[in-house]
Parts: sequence; C-alpha cells; structure tokens
Amino acid sequence: MQKFDLNREIKAWIRSFRKFRPFDHGSIREMELHMRDHIDDLLTAGHSEEEAFSIARQEFGDVHDIAREEYWNISKKRNINSIINNTMINSYLKVAIRHFRKHKFHSALNVIGLMTGLAIVFFIFLFVSDERSFDQYHTKKEVLYRVVENQYYSGQPVFPVAVTPTALAPALSEQFPEIIRSTRASYESLQFQLNDQAITEDRGLMVDASFFDMFSITILEGDISGFENDIKALVLSETLARKYFPDTDAVGKSIKLDDEEFTVRAIMEDTPENTHLPFNYLVNFEYYLSFDPERNQNWGSNWLYTYIELDPNADPAMVDNKITMLIKDNSEDSSTEIYMQPLTDVYLGEVDFVVEAPHKGEMLYVNIFTLVAIFILIISCINFMNLATAKSEIRAKEVGLRKTVGAARGQLIFQFLSESVLLSLIALLLALGVVVTLLPFFNDLTGKSISIEEFYSLNRGLNFLLVILGSAVFAGLIAGVYPALVLSKPMPAITLKNNGHSVKSGGAFRKILVISQFTISIILIIGTLVVAEQLNYIQDIDLGFNKSNLAYMRAAPEKAPLLADELRKESDVLAVGLTNNHPGYVMSSTSGFEWQGKNPDESMLIHTLGVDEHYLSAMEMRIVEGRDFRKGDSTSIIINQRAAEAIGFEEPVGSIITNHGRDFTIIGVVSDFNFKSIHTRIEPLLIYMEDDPARLFIRYKPGQEARIKEIAETAWTSMFPDKEFSIGYLDEDWTEMYKAEKRTARLSTYFSAIAIIVSCLGLFGLVSYTAEQRTREIGIRKVLGASVPGLFMMLAKDFTKLIVASLIISVPLGVFLMNRWLENYAYHIDISALIVTETILGVILITMATISYQSLKVSATNPVNVLKNE
Amino acid sequence: MLSKNLTAASTRPIILGVLKQGRSYGYLIIKKIKDMSGGKMEWSDGMIYPVLHKLEKEGLIVSDWVMSKDKRPRKYYEITEKGKLELQAEQEQWSQVTAVLDMVWKGQIPKILPDAEV
Repeated sequence: MQKFDLNREIKAWIRSFRKFRPFDHGSIREMELHMRDHIDDLLTAGHSEEEAFSIARQEFGDVHDIAREEYWNISKKRNINSIINNTMINSYLKVAIRHFRKHKFHSALNVIGLMTGLAIVFFIFLFVSDERSFDQYHTKKEVLYRVVENQYYSGQPVFPVAVTPTALAPALSEQFPEIIRSTRASYESLQFQLNDQAITEDRGLMVDASFFDMFSITILEGDISGFENDIKALVLSETLARKYFPDTDAVGKSIKLDDEEFTVRAIMEDTPENTHLPFNYLVNFEYYLSFDPERNQNWGSNWLYTYIELDPNADPAMVDNKITMLIKDNSEDSSTEIYMQPLTDVYLGEVDFVVEAPHKGEMLYVNIFTLVAIFILIISCINFMNLATAKSEIRAKEVGLRKTVGAARGQLIFQFLSESVLLSLIALLLALGVVVTLLPFFNDLTGKSISIEEFYSLNRGLNFLLVILGSAVFAGLIAGVYPALVLSKPMPAITLKNNGHSVKSGGAFRKILVISQFTISIILIIGTLVVAEQLNYIQDIDLGFNKSNLAYMRAAPEKAPLLADELRKESDVLAVGLTNNHPGYVMSSTSGFEWQGKNPDESMLIHTLGVDEHYLSAMEMRIVEGRDFRKGDSTSIIINQRAAEAIGFEEPVGSIITNHGRDFTIIGVVSDFNFKSIHTRIEPLLIYMEDDPARLFIRYKPGQEARIKEIAETAWTSMFPDKEFSIGYLDEDWTEMYKAEKRTARLSTYFSAIAIIVSCLGLFGLVSYTAEQRTREIGIRKVLGASVPGLFMMLAKDFTKLIVASLIISVPLGVFLMNRWLENYAYHIDISALIVTETILGVILITMATISYQSLKVSATNPVNVLKNE
Repeated sequence: MLSKNLTAASTRPIILGVLKQGRSYGYLIIKKIKDMSGGKMEWSDGMIYPVLHKLEKEGLIVSDWVMSKDKRPRKYYEITEKGKLELQAEQEQWSQVTAVLDMVWKGQIPKILPDAEV
C-alpha cells in the first residue's frame, strides 16, 4: 500500500479549487494556509497525518458551496468598469493609443487607406441600392408584369421589342382569368394651351382607367372615379398643376390639349425618380380610340406598353406559357411571341429591348461597381495588413512581456483585432464625413439625386447602418486577423532575449499581398483606358453621315416643305432635308417586303426610312451605286449596302421590291450608316420618298449654331405664331445617347485613380518602413564607399520586382476582361499595344516615384547621423 | 444545532465582533467562533472566506498579507470605522429581536382585539 503523503494530498486538494473561476490566486493560497494550520493543530492533538487531513478537509466543507458563495461576490459587482478591467480593454486601449501616437505616419496611412476604401464602399452602396430601388414603391409590384415581345426573322438574331399592339392588353384580361387587370401605356407629347401660347409637354402617358388600380399613384386633390367614363379626362402632376394653374385650384378646370378641351380630374404627386416609367400627366386611352374604334382591334403595329396584374394565387410560369402565342394567333404572318417581364425586373433587365422605357439601368454596371467596391476595400485592407506585419518586430517586445505575465494567445489575438477594428471605426467616421461632403459631386458623376435624408427612413437607414458598420467591422477583422495571428505567435523567451528581433514578419506573404494589390489596380487602369478609348471611338466613329453642324426641328407635315424652302434662302444654311425619323432612332420596320427569288418561308425584317429628295445629300450620306432621289420618284427606293447583301441581289440597281402589291424600283444603294445606337450592328434599311415628312434636318456652316437658331426661330414664328419653337442638334443627341458610357468612363477613371493611389500609399508606407529598418546598414555601406545611386538601386530593386510580377499577371487578365466588355458593342476598338504600353509605363512611373522619395531620402542621409545613434 | 439560515444571518455580526477585538486571520477567527458556540453552530470552515471577502468588498474590513521569517504568511483582517458602525447597527437589530423573543418566551404578549370584534 502506498504511504500517505500529506503534502501531495494537500496539493491535490488545492488543485481542485483552480477549476472554479471565482477563486483567484490569493484566496486559494489563503485557504491552503488555513488547511495547513488546521492540520498542524490536529497533529498536535495526536491525530495521524491521514486522520488530520481527513478531518480538516471535512470541516472545511464542500468546495462547490464555497465557490458559489464567492461567485456571488464577483457577479454582484459586475458592471462596465469591471468588464473593462477584467478583459484588460483598458490596457489594450492605452497601448493602442500610445502606439498610434508613436507611429503617427503609419497610423495615418492606415486610417486614410481604410477611409478611402470604406468611402468607396458607401458610395457604391448608395448607387447600387438606388439602382435596385426602381419600381419598388408600387404596392402591387409582386403581381405586376410588363408584356414584351420576341420577334423572329430568318437569319437574324431574336429581336426583342418592349412595345406591343393595341389589342393585346384587353385580350389578355378578357381571355385569361388569371390576369385580373391590364392597361396600355403610351407616351404622348401633347400641346398645352397656356394663355395664347402652346407648349409641348413631354412624358404624357395615355392609359386605361385600370392603370390607377395597378400602379401606386398618390392622388393629392380631386379623384379619378370620373376618369373611366370621360375620354377627355386629365390627371396632372403637382408640378404641371402649379405651372398651368398657379393661382387657382386646378381640379374641375378645363385646359386645351392639342386644341381639344380636357378636364382636370385630379392632381397627383410627381412620380418618383426611381421608376422606369416616369410621367407628368395622364390622359384616357379611350380618347385615342374615339377617333376610330377599329383601332382597338389592331394586332399589327407595335407601339405601346402593355402591363398586367396577375391573380396573386396564379402561377406566373403557367400564365406565361399560356399567353406566348396570343399575337401569332391573332395576326397571320406574325413571328412574334410574347412573355411576361416582372415589373421590378424592367429597370435592370438584361435584355436590350427596342423602344425601351425612358429609364433603363444596366445590371452590368451595377455588378462592375459592386466588384470595384470590393476590390478597393481589399486593397486598403491589404495596406493595413502589410504595415502591421511589417511593424510586428516593434510589437514583439510588448507581446513577449504580455505573454510572460500570463496573456493567453487568444487574448493577444483579441487585443490586435480590437486595435484594428478600432482603427477601422475611426476610418468609418471619417469615411462618413467624406461621403456626406462629396455626395453632390457623386450625384453629378452618376446622374443620380441621392440625398442623405433618404436614409433617415427606418428601413433604408437600417440597411445602410448595417452595411457601413458591417463593412467597417469586416474590414477591421480582415485587416487585423493576419497581423494578430503573426504577432501573437512568438515565444516570449526568444523575443525578449533578442531584443525583439526574432519575429519572422511574414515577408513572403507581404509580397503576395503587394502583388495582388497592384494586380487589381492595374486591371482597373487598363479598364479605364479601354473605356475611355472606346468612348472616343464612338464619338468619332464614321456613322456613314456627318452628324456635326446639323440641327433639326419638327413642323406640321403640310407646312414642313414651306419652312424648309424658307430656311434654304439663308446663306448660313447649306442644305435642308426632310424625313419622318430621327437618324439615331429609326424604329419603324416591317417584314412585308417581297422580291424575286425570295424564299417564301423566310421573313426578313427591314427597317424603313421616309425622306425627301434633299435628305441624303443634306446628311452627307454616300451613294455607292445608282443615284439619289429626284422630285417625283414616288415608286423608287434606295437601299443600304447591308440590305443589298442580305437580299442577295447581284445587280441591285433596277431590281424590283414589292410591298402589298406595289412595286418599287431600286434606284440606288447608299453606303451603310448607323441609324440606331452603335451597340447594334447596322441592319437592312430601305429608304423611300415620304409624302409628308415632318422633320427638318438643317446643315449649316460650322460654328453658326446660334445664328441658325435665330434664323429658324424667325421663320417658325412667322409661320406658326401660336406654336412653341424648339430646335435640336444631332451632336448633342449623340452625346445624350452615350451618356451611360460617358458616366462609366468617368466613374472608372475615379475608381482606378483611387485604387492606384491607395495601393501607392501602402507601398509608400512599406518602403519607408524598410528604409527605416536598413538605415544602419545603409550608413555603414556609405562609410565603406557605396554611392547614392547604388543604394537607391538596392532599395528599389525588391519593390520593382513585385510591380513587375503584378504587371505580368494583370496585363493579360485585364486585356481578357476588357475584351469581354467590348463584345457588348457591335463596333468597338481593338485593345492596342499602345494601351498596354501606356499602362505599364504609367504604373512603373507612379510606383518608382513612390519608392524613390523614401529611398533617396535614406540613401542621402549622412551616415554620421545614423551611426552615432547606435 | 443551529439552523443554516440562522447561522448565515448571524455570521456577519459574529465576524465583525471577533475582529473588533483585534485583527485576525481566517483560521483563527473560525477557531474563536467554534470556541464561543461550543460547537453548536454548524460551520463549514471554508464558508468563512466568501463572507470575509464580501465584507472586505463592502469596505467593512480590510486585509493585509503579513509575512514573517519563520511562520507561515497570513492574511490578516482588520475592522474599519465603517465596519464598527455596521456592527453597532447589527447589535441594535439583534437586541430588538432578542427583546421581542424574550417577551414571547415569557408569554408577555399583549391582548389586542381585532378591529371587527370591537
């Protein structure tokens, strides 16, 4: 049997106390001494060691009970202060602040980097959440759909069209019980009579009465109950009501629209910015039908938007299947299928519809920007990681000391993480300041009108708060986790012995981080250059006609030729041509043409454009075969090269094309010109002599915009004294058409500039740190005869290698990605060697400048100053 | 044997009272109490420590580790001025309780009729 060892038993008994948290070191010691005193007394009283221990232990009582009592003492005084003391947050905070103070430069670099990253995240969040908010305000948004078309033509890609025939909406709600309501919506620009002046108001919407039951429209005054039965009912927006009835109550008043008396039935709130279908006034669709009730049965011409409200219990996919063939069934020769597009998908939908609603966003840009936000945040987090790990030697002593006095690794990790989260929260506050200050500028840049007030509302505000706090804490954690792991690792004995010089500060990992940072930045730079170049290309592309020095106006068809003659008398006017279409938006097309040798099973969609005999020459379009129109060429047509090719005529001039039994002779072929956005390839086009074209295109002498406006206005006023005068310029329209691209170009310029600046900030910090580390080495080298250029080379070499490595990765990747983007354009640039060279040179220059400052500073230091400090 | 509740309630004045006589350490305090009660109070020795720590946190007593060359180190507790006041208050309370109990034991309970029977 083993001999009883009193000391060992006491030790074992004492050890059982340690597992209870309430006992601190002192109280355990106190109880141990109690035990020993008691045992001593018992031994004196004549008990054996074993008996004495047993009695003393029994009388001491159950350790659980004592622990529970002691726990009460602790838990009662638990408050914020005790938590701070217990978790040593106080100490962490003190050390953190001291550290920030001591290393002002690096801390500032860290905060500025993170601030920039966070500010970009917030901006992009604002942008994306605004883009996603489109049409979300309709209470019935879940059951509202727009009905759109896919048209099919042989040999051509699917032709998506957003507009539909007049007869579609009523047919949908009548034939399908799942469709509760339907409405047509067509944009109109009617002339409002204000005193003796007629003003054309855009964005009027002609709708069925059910429109009010489907869409969320806030009626401020009056009511819409009379709308259904009054074909001349008018609902005005608040702004329009104030414009036309500034002093009186508009409801019940009448106003002349296109020379007809309309009655204002109600005033509605202005439509919010974030709808794909903005409108300023509503008129009854029945008004349009009243001219000819037959129109209601028209299945042929696509010209208005159709919206439906689905039974909430219906299965959208099933309904979608049922309605697909509705147009085909009602209109022979039609190749059109229809489908439902959820209302909330319209704005960011991926399909590029023909005749899209006025507000259309690009999911692509939303995605690109989201990605960019993440990229820039990553770059700034990398800065933080790099600087922190680089500086880890400085912290190694502190870590060693903390470990020696009992800090667990978890506590140290917590310390460093909380330090970085603290920094990122500071950065967050600064970033918020930046966002608020720069919001007007950002709105200008993106064409949005976001206000901070929007985020005071509970829902959006909460989301915003969640995103910003989330990203700040996320950034803090991501940025801090690696440094925390590295810093908490070293063995205290070694670091303290070696004066803190034993830590491997993650050199290789840092290199990888720098490389990835610059890889991202360089990709963004390539992106920016490509977007800018593509934009220039679009602006200067040969459209097939000359869009400069070209003004246009609209007149009543019967008086347009007179007005044109009037203008031709002016010496500053070079030519005036008439047409029925704007050359950037030719939308009329038909598949009803026949010609000899045409495959009867195939149908080909051909766009049509009506002009007069002056148009082609006024536009400076080029006739490549045959001749231009002459007066009276009513059965002659001109086709474009694409049409000639598609039809397959060997000798197009002189060939006959038939439309509904009428023969047309091709008299000429015009060189291809863009008559739509250049996102789309040039399609077959047929030009004919229009009987009453109403659009005038005026070619004038360069630089005479103001003069032309004056001339046109004088001519207009003498001819139409009561009609509002307006004139447009093709150059401006073109700019408008590519606004989205321009915006992207500007935004991406800013983004890539910020990315490269933040990356360079990090590099700058890293170089200055390395230089600092090597001051003594450099001093000795100088004493031994090293030259300043030699030292500079030595310092710059390491970093240059990293930049070169990132160039090798990023250039091919960037070129690949941008080629994918360019595929969106039917006509686009090829990424040139020039862009690549520009990028490479630019990046090398910028980074060399960053590296040089510090390297030169250090290599130029007088060695005496450095070495005497040692 | 005293009940647990009674023991717990009386611990504070007893410890304070013991310390009023002079500073002392845990084991010694327990010994004195056991001596006084003649072993009639059921005490787990260890339970004194949570009570001491609590009194210390309330500022009624203070402690100090005393090291000496050939003896074990001891943690001595000493009553503070606040502790003395507290002891006085406790004493008054207990006197009231004993006074009332005294009358109960002697059967000197006043006969007061309930309102309804007046």
